[in-house]
Amino acid sequence: MKRYHIVKRDLLTPGRRIVFYLLAIAAALLLGALLLMMTGVNPLSYYFKMLTIGTVTDSGELSRLAYKQVENLIKVFVPLVLTSVALSVAFKMKFWNIGGEGQFLVGAVAAAFIPLKFGVIGNQALTLLLMAAAAMAAAAVWGGIVALLKVRFGTNETLMTLMFNYIALYFVALLGEEKAGWNVFLDPESQRPLFRSVWDFVTMPAITIGKFSLSWSLLFVLVLCILVYFYLKKTKHGYEISVVGDSIGTAKYAGMKVGRIIVRTMLLSSALIGLAGFFKLTSAGPLSTSLTDSVGWTGIVVAWLAKLDTVGIVITSLLISILRFGCSQASVTFGAVDSRFADLLQGVILFAVLAADFVIRFKIVKKEEA
Amino acid sequence: MKRILSLVLAAMMLISVMLLASCGETEKADITVGAIYIGSQNEEAGYTYAHHTGITRAIEQLKEEGYNVNLLIQDNVPEEDAEVTAAIDALANQGADIIFGISFGYLGAFEKAATEYADIIFSHATGYASNETNFNNYFGRIYQARYLSGIAAGLKAKEVGKGTNGKYNIGYVSAYGTQYAETCSGINAFTLGVQSVLGEEAQVYVKQIGEWGNPTVERQAAEALINTYSCVVIGQHCDSAQPQIAAEAAGVFGCGYNSDMTPSAPNAHLTAPIWNWEVYYKFAIETALTDPANFMDKVGIYYGGLKEGFVDISPLSDNCTEDTAAKIDAVKDMILSGEWDVFSNVKLSFDEDGNVVKTTSALTTNDGKTVISEDNASYYVYETNEAGELTGNMTEVGGADTIDSIIKGSMNYYVAGVTDVTE
Repeated sequence: MKRYHIVKRDLLTPGRRIVFYLLAIAAALLLGALLLMMTGVNPLSYYFKMLTIGTVTDSGELSRLAYKQVENLIKVFVPLVLTSVALSVAFKMKFWNIGGEGQFLVGAVAAAFIPLKFGVIGNQALTLLLMAAAAMAAAAVWGGIVALLKVRFGTNETLMTLMFNYIALYFVALLGEEKAGWNVFLDPESQRPLFRSVWDFVTMPAITIGKFSLSWSLLFVLVLCILVYFYLKKTKHGYEISVVGDSIGTAKYAGMKVGRIIVRTMLLSSALIGLAGFFKLTSAGPLSTSLTDSVGWTGIVVAWLAKLDTVGIVITSLLISILRFGCSQASVTFGAVDSRFADLLQGVILFAVLAADFVIRFKIVKKEEA
Repeated sequence: MKRILSLVLAAMMLISVMLLASCGETEKADITVGAIYIGSQNEEAGYTYAHHTGITRAIEQLKEEGYNVNLLIQDNVPEEDAEVTAAIDALANQGADIIFGISFGYLGAFEKAATEYADIIFSHATGYASNETNFNNYFGRIYQARYLSGIAAGLKAKEVGKGTNGKYNIGYVSAYGTQYAETCSGINAFTLGVQSVLGEEAQVYVKQIGEWGNPTVERQAAEALINTYSCVVIGQHCDSAQPQIAAEAAGVFGCGYNSDMTPSAPNAHLTAPIWNWEVYYKFAIETALTDPANFMDKVGIYYGGLKEGFVDISPLSDNCTEDTAAKIDAVKDMILSGEWDVFSNVKLSFDEDGNVVKTTSALTTNDGKTVISEDNASYYVYETNEAGELTGNMTEVGGADTIDSIIKGSMNYYVAGVTDVTE
């Protein structure tokens, strides 16, 4: 009797693998195109608008605010890439930090607290520096607690980081509703509770190139990505992380202090996510429960799509940012498709790439039952 | 490998052909309207739906008048400055001439954008900020419609009868209470409408849900009002029709909000205070089209009411008592003619023949403090300290001409006859 079996394949060449991934993405886009056609939208003009993020008009010219579109894309990209890179640091160690949302918010709250409570301290640069430090410290504590609990009591970090998200989320919601003397986060001029913008005190500086202003946050984040790349690839710490990730037993046998490595790595991961919160807060807007724009979740997708490779994460983040931002631009012209189409497409792409992964690693063969 | 390559090439050729085909010349519009929604434009009920319907109806009307109006939409935009600013940029980038934002939290981003894009008109619903050239806000006298729905509620409660406490018990599911002038002015207007029929025998119980809409919580609040406080009519200031559906299930009655909720609760619903947003949208778009330079003089800070047709009540259902229509019409005429308005030193009631009777008396809060003096010369609200907390004392805000600013912003009391039973 003949039966189907799943058999591991020989390693495919990198070129072939890339072809498989591209085919997966094409298949996802094709499925999206089918859905778009069902709603009566021309998928090609939709995808054109999406990929050009609204910078090109229907008649093929650069739109009048094209520079603004690029600035806004950067605002989406910066928090996403930093969060994804930070998450990958923990994931490399097989520490399932799904608390990005919470660490991001806690970082943003701490950063916002500095100017809203004390005003400008010294000058702009010093205030921004203090805000960044506060964001990193607060988020590191938020993530560090979970790492400590895991090391000390063997708690499940997936559950703990997940639950810590909700604590942070509802804490921000509370800050957003409670008008009281102690609550410095609200705008004193508004009747209804409304978060006060830190822009009343500080703004992230930018390099002006004509009309376009390039936020420093992009440069900082790219430098951070390079540093993380070297940290993971070239340092002893990075090596320890990958050994712990492969096998805790091996790490222990090699004399590594596993507990310390876990806590240290998690402090780094969550501090970087807190820093992403700081960047979002200073370049994009006041606190809110939706400040994260779901980067804590999307970051997980990005990290895995890029196989935890730092360079891959930067590229994938850019693509996902274009997809998300582009979809919201396209939805301006195509009323029938709302911006949530981006979530759907992102899900389909992830699914298709995971399927491609399967095809790359395994093949199905038909053979005689022994 | 070759097969894949040829496939990819074929696909690329197909794409380029279709791209070229789709790049047709588009007709130049007279005006491009941008809209930013908190929900999805494809919703079929609720707040965003009401605004989207208003905008599309206004545009249809303008198209019938021969204008070519183009509509661009950014929806599901949360109340976060970064998102709102990005949405404004996207609309401005694609050529919007006037941008509407329907949610309160868009305020900060709109204020900033108005300075940045001087050639675009910004119009923000429910807010309080504006400038002199290109940024206004719009809202309306929904309290007038609430008063009228209160008459329908009072008449129905009278027909049903008193509770064991010797009062006519009426419930009101509200998003918030005295924290917002918008909610407490609604509660007060509804109560005064009820009292025009029932006088001091009316008891209005308010239950806050702490958010603008949440179907489950809205329903639970209505059920508590019906079961615990024996309410026989349920008014509401929240998004869904759940309070009305709960009233229907319990065999009592109710007044909805935002849209005619009779289809949701055919045996319970009386009438609902509703907004006719298209009245404003048509006015605003038309002005932006014909005379954009004088937008702030002509439209300005818009606060329309029954008179403009901006607010109204939905058609009375068959559940209303027979005399409801006549009594509501009598009061409506007084508001339309400007003879009388809800918040003043004059209270209305009906005599045995159904005629409106005016009584001059002070308006008091439910803890006995005067908020409008009997001679109509002094208007008060509760005093607040710097942290925004109530001190318990009253502060005078001025005379009769301050009532609009009280209703829009500083009202923070319940009138006599209201009991807040929020836990």
